[in-house]
Amino acid sequence: MREVPLVELHRRYGGSLGEFGGWLTSFDFGDPVAEHLAVRNAVAFFDVSHMGRFVVRGRRVFEFLQKVFAKDLSKVKEGYMSGPALLLNEAAGMIDDVMLYRVKEDLWYAVVNAPRISRDFEWLSTWRGRLGFSDVEIEDVTSSTTLIAIQGPKSLEVLEGLGVKEAGSLRILQFVEDVEVLGGRVTLVSRSGWTGEEVRSHGFEIWAPVELGWRIFEKLVELGVRPAGLIARDTLRLEAGYLLSGVDFDESTNPVEARYWMAFDLDKRGYVGYEKLEERYREGVDRVRVGLRFKKGVRLVPRRGDPILVGGREVGYVTSGTYSMYLERAAAMGYVSSRYAYLGGTAYVSCRGRLYEAKIVEPPFI
Amino acid sequence: MLVRTRVGEYLVREDLYYTDTDEWVRVSGDEAVVGITDYAQKKLKYIVSVELSSAGREVRRGEVIATLESVKAIADVYSPLDGLLLEVNEALVTSPDMLNKDPYGAGWIAKLRVTGSLPKLMSPEEYADYIRKREGSG
Repeated sequence: MREVPLVELHRRYGGSLGEFGGWLTSFDFGDPVAEHLAVRNAVAFFDVSHMGRFVVRGRRVFEFLQKVFAKDLSKVKEGYMSGPALLLNEAAGMIDDVMLYRVKEDLWYAVVNAPRISRDFEWLSTWRGRLGFSDVEIEDVTSSTTLIAIQGPKSLEVLEGLGVKEAGSLRILQFVEDVEVLGGRVTLVSRSGWTGEEVRSHGFEIWAPVELGWRIFEKLVELGVRPAGLIARDTLRLEAGYLLSGVDFDESTNPVEARYWMAFDLDKRGYVGYEKLEERYREGVDRVRVGLRFKKGVRLVPRRGDPILVGGREVGYVTSGTYSMYLERAAAMGYVSSRYAYLGGTAYVSCRGRLYEAKIVEPPFI
Repeated sequence: MLVRTRVGEYLVREDLYYTDTDEWVRVSGDEAVVGITDYAQKKLKYIVSVELSSAGREVRRGEVIATLESVKAIADVYSPLDGLLLEVNEALVTSPDMLNKDPYGAGWIAKLRVTGSLPKLMSPEEYADYIRKREGSG
């Protein structure tokens, strides 16, 4: 198991450590409910350095990325992030959703999901060879850098507290490079996150060398910003309806079933997995991902694999669920047979042998 | 008098007895109060729901008296002794977070009248060692 570079600070500030995606990191800092609510109502920060960070460079880097990612990257302007972009296998199964940063013509960055770091790196390297992009370099900088996400409606004040003057003018998914923070230089500051910022608030992420990340972490604590862990991060992303790689999709799922529209484009052609994806889209899919909104006051954590019933018949299964203290109800995502994907209709979810009523909805839940 | 000790991040109170399934017991006269330990709540993490046995029931040692559901897992709470369930902490149904916030206090689970002989329970020192053993630190 690898440790996040700032694990000593996690220990010092009360992080309750556990394993996620091969990394030792904090599940909470004492009170996941307060951490979640801090993001919704004020501000909190996450050390998300367990996520993989790659630097991709070379004269033909754009052409290479266009061939391996299912999203049309020509729509991404310089100084902006792509939003989630899918890496597909040849059968159109989803390897991972990756955040890409267009830095300059010959330089892109990528942030990938922790459990998929080596799979993504190998996949990109394989296709770099297969497609003849030997001039494109891919470097894994995960261990030498940190990524800190400051999330919540008061994030901007915190960024100002860190002396990032540019923060206020950043638009969603825009970033600035090589910014001075606490007397050092960070790789970039972006207006982004994964807690529902597009829906609710406006978060920022700071990508920095380890030593500077350390000082930023300590400064945030000093500024009174609450550190938050993976539990709050998971409940926040679920409320926001974001899919979790390896949980809500994997290589046996295609993006049409997952209805992960924002992460791929069908009007772009010629990328890895395109043919099968187009075929799936044209022929229709047997199952689709839906949201399940339980009744107010239902205290429950729907678990992966819990059966979903419509009209008394088992038609699907839960992939992830949570109890949202913010919404005071349980919420889940899962796949149901497309014949029974009655949006707005009623389903029952069988949790521990008991049936709970839920509405079939389109996420987000907030 | 020192009433609490820390094993890593886990609090063990020195005025309680413990079980190997991570319940604590406070015995006074023929009454016993039962809850889950700080170690148990930290392992479970955020507890979102609690199902309780009904008061007035006779329970045997090892019988399930409550079921907790957390974001991490579902866990049964066992009666550490033979007894009559006098009262269960109904407040936990609407505020299960008390189990996380105050496991040795407001997060108590059940009160029992001891009907059999008291079984062998762990002392705070033994329980602290038991945590250390499981945490692989000695």
